[in-house]
Amino acid sequence: MKKIERKDFLKLGGGAVLGGLSGWVFSGAPFLGFQWLAEWTQDQYVPVKGFEKYAQAVSDSCPAGCKVSVRMIGERAVKIESKEGVCPSCQNALQLTYHPERISTPLKRKGDKGDGKFVPVSWDEAIKEISAKMNSLIAEGKANSIAAINKNESLNGQMMEKLIRSAGSNNVYYEPSLKSLTSSALGGYIKYDFKNTDYVLSFGAKLVEGWDSSSDMQKVFTDWKAKGTKIVQADTVCSMTASLAAEWVPVKPGTEAVLAFGIANYLITGKRLNSSGEEFGKWSQLIINKFPLAKVASYTGVSEDRIKKIGDDFSKAKNPVAVAGKGAYGVSASSAEIIAVYCLNTLVKSSSATLMKNSAVSYTSEFAGLDSFIKSGNFSMLFLNNSDPVYKSVLGEDLKKKMEKAFVVSINPIMNDSANYADIILPSLSFLETATPENQAVVVNFKESKDAKEIIIALSKAVDKTKNTFAFSNGIDSFKISGKESASGARFSFNVDKIKSEFDALDKKFAGNAEYPLFMIPVEAPLVGDGDGLAFPYVLKSIDPTVFYREKLLVQINRETGKKYGLSEDESIVIKSERGKLSKVYVHLTDTVAPDTVAIPLGFGHESYTVYGSEKGVNPKKIMAADVDPLTGTADWWSTRVKIS
Amino acid sequence: MEEKKIEVKMKRKWGMAVDLDKCTGCGKCSVACNQENNMPIFEDDSDVPKRVAFLELMKVTNDRDAKFPDVKTAYLPKMCQQCEGNDSGKHKAEPPCVSVCPAVATDVGDDGVVSQVWSRCIGCRYCQTACPYEARAFNWWKPEYDGSFKKSLNTDVSVASRGTIVKCTFCSHIWKRERDKAAAKGILDINEVFYTPACVGTCPTGAMVFGDLNDPNSEVSKLANSDRAMRLTNVIDDVKDAEKKKALLNKKQFPNPKVYYLTSQSWLRDMMRFKKNS
Repeated sequence: MKKIERKDFLKLGGGAVLGGLSGWVFSGAPFLGFQWLAEWTQDQYVPVKGFEKYAQAVSDSCPAGCKVSVRMIGERAVKIESKEGVCPSCQNALQLTYHPERISTPLKRKGDKGDGKFVPVSWDEAIKEISAKMNSLIAEGKANSIAAINKNESLNGQMMEKLIRSAGSNNVYYEPSLKSLTSSALGGYIKYDFKNTDYVLSFGAKLVEGWDSSSDMQKVFTDWKAKGTKIVQADTVCSMTASLAAEWVPVKPGTEAVLAFGIANYLITGKRLNSSGEEFGKWSQLIINKFPLAKVASYTGVSEDRIKKIGDDFSKAKNPVAVAGKGAYGVSASSAEIIAVYCLNTLVKSSSATLMKNSAVSYTSEFAGLDSFIKSGNFSMLFLNNSDPVYKSVLGEDLKKKMEKAFVVSINPIMNDSANYADIILPSLSFLETATPENQAVVVNFKESKDAKEIIIALSKAVDKTKNTFAFSNGIDSFKISGKESASGARFSFNVDKIKSEFDALDKKFAGNAEYPLFMIPVEAPLVGDGDGLAFPYVLKSIDPTVFYREKLLVQINRETGKKYGLSEDESIVIKSERGKLSKVYVHLTDTVAPDTVAIPLGFGHESYTVYGSEKGVNPKKIMAADVDPLTGTADWWSTRVKIS
Repeated sequence: MEEKKIEVKMKRKWGMAVDLDKCTGCGKCSVACNQENNMPIFEDDSDVPKRVAFLELMKVTNDRDAKFPDVKTAYLPKMCQQCEGNDSGKHKAEPPCVSVCPAVATDVGDDGVVSQVWSRCIGCRYCQTACPYEARAFNWWKPEYDGSFKKSLNTDVSVASRGTIVKCTFCSHIWKRERDKAAAKGILDINEVFYTPACVGTCPTGAMVFGDLNDPNSEVSKLANSDRAMRLTNVIDDVKDAEKKKALLNKKQFPNPKVYYLTSQSWLRDMMRFKKNS
């Protein structure tokens, strides 16, 4: 055998390595490796292709009835467009329709209330259980213990009202809105004719940020800009409305109503203006005696001269209008404020504010409003029609306790804080999935979910007493019974005696308080509003880092006040009120808020509002003032006395 | 058969004007942009360093210089400013991002739109550093669309992969869509075709205006030439002396954006120039 030389050995070895390498290369393995690498680094989802078309839709779930044009790719809706403007919830409809946490079938509670444990049940089973409960309550003569809370006055809200009333209950409530609150305070909601007005005096109403109907107000604002309508804004924070207004009247927190008293006082005593209506005399005596200009000036921080100047400008304008309501989505519930501002309109005989009513929405129930119902009402059965009172009401914790003892049905497309306490959840649709008389549904129903209108009809048919409430079974036919709007004919006829005590409460609130020296007032971020927007990721994407940033909710505090309390930017503080304390809030020092004020963003701190909306920040409603207004039946939480540490 | 060749010379130079005195900060432009451009969805998009968005709804106030109640607030929708650059002799007119891109992933077209091709991007982030407006976002994470959110994705905009830079392209895919539609109708002259980016199309107060800056009669040109118009931190705009301006333009590069902001509020003008006392 030939001896292998060292050289040959190396050659052979080298050859083997070369051969192996070339074999590996030709096997394609390295290319496959590159492919894996490319896939690992570049794996992109490719949206499913399809033909493009545009479908039209009208929202039946928002009170404004937004009209949108939806860009479709095949069966998928990919873009909401609108020439007429949309409200934020309608613009987010795609993210609601395609939300990964949509409720797909009727659900029945499995664990304790609030645990969030539910099991799927069939529609028949769910309806049967609900109707059996309703039938037995009606048979026992306890029909009035069946209650409902509607999100708004849209068609399904009107139908829920009809169902509950025909079951024999007088307990139908709406989440507080400008319409519901002004209706209870004045006997009609105000329809403003903003087109013909030349002077707008707003008492903290966030006119361009979403107040009343966001899509309409954007158009109105454009019109005002073009015409040069003068906007005068009384506000505690430098809101967008204050910033865009011709004149900003900075007021101390929560004193907008007092300013309105002061101006009315000046117009009545100084300018001899008068208003008609049976209660006007009593009202004017009250504000003249209780709120002389000097007191108004000290409470509001607006000088007497300036109050007079505003009064002069307001009364001299050709067609002035005064506006109340404060927030963008959250609304101030003080009836004294609503009446005071409306009073200004009657004093100058403004033709731009008319009281209206809706034939299908009464706003008169067992209790004056939702919060008085939560506080004093008793119910064995509660329907939540897309509403979230546990989150939105300052008495949410009390409602939770009452809901634990009652049978609760929630109708909504995605989970929320209130539905978490329900016994049965019925999945409803987004407006893109519902047909209207003008248009077909844009996309097909998500799994087993159903139109809220049809759910309400099915419920009515299953209960003996309400069988004949609706003469149709199709959701589309219900548009026929949609409520009509007409002038309410109400005049200055509200019950002044009922709110007399409110004046003393105002005195007590603003006279100074050593224990709680600061005021907490709410502010609202664009698209987030009072919380509905937070389940939608594209809303989170728009939030400014001075509002909410990486799990941190920032409260805005004036620099001077910050110095007084030794606060620094981004510092964690605890806010305490008589009702409790909020921790995990952080300081943002800014001079856009008045001194001695803590401006806290609304809309954060949901408990179970999908993975996107939950556990983000804190819910200030938990410690906000909960004194229920006697006329609106809603807690006046707008300003709360607090201290910080 | 000889094919008829159509010579079309591009006339357009797309630009935008945003009237901040009309902007109410409603945020609809932001939602429309996110939806149109398939913005990734993270569990917490309030996490700004992680956030990927083309349009930033900036909240600005003058509270550093002014005291309550002499303060003002405004929202400033900030997207890619579509810089033009300037021809300084040594260097041709180019946006700051384009000249640094080693992969030709970002380029400027004859319509003035600064493009960004995410699939070409190698993720070096030079352009992000060069951008004077922080208008570019980097996909540190793979863009995710949880479950059925995928159904709302637009087919006209490709989903970016991890490790790439993305930015606003003035929704130029909509222009392509409109051109295709026009071509299907037999209109082959691209100068006949107009389009509206998603943000402008949704603006409810008409604060955002889009159009051709080369056309002196277009609304956007008129707005861009108004006294209220200004551009974000484009220092050369402050040089009033024509001679000095010319000399400077020959020596130095300036961003020269095609997005104009209009306002008569002096504090806002100062803020956009990073200067006081205009």
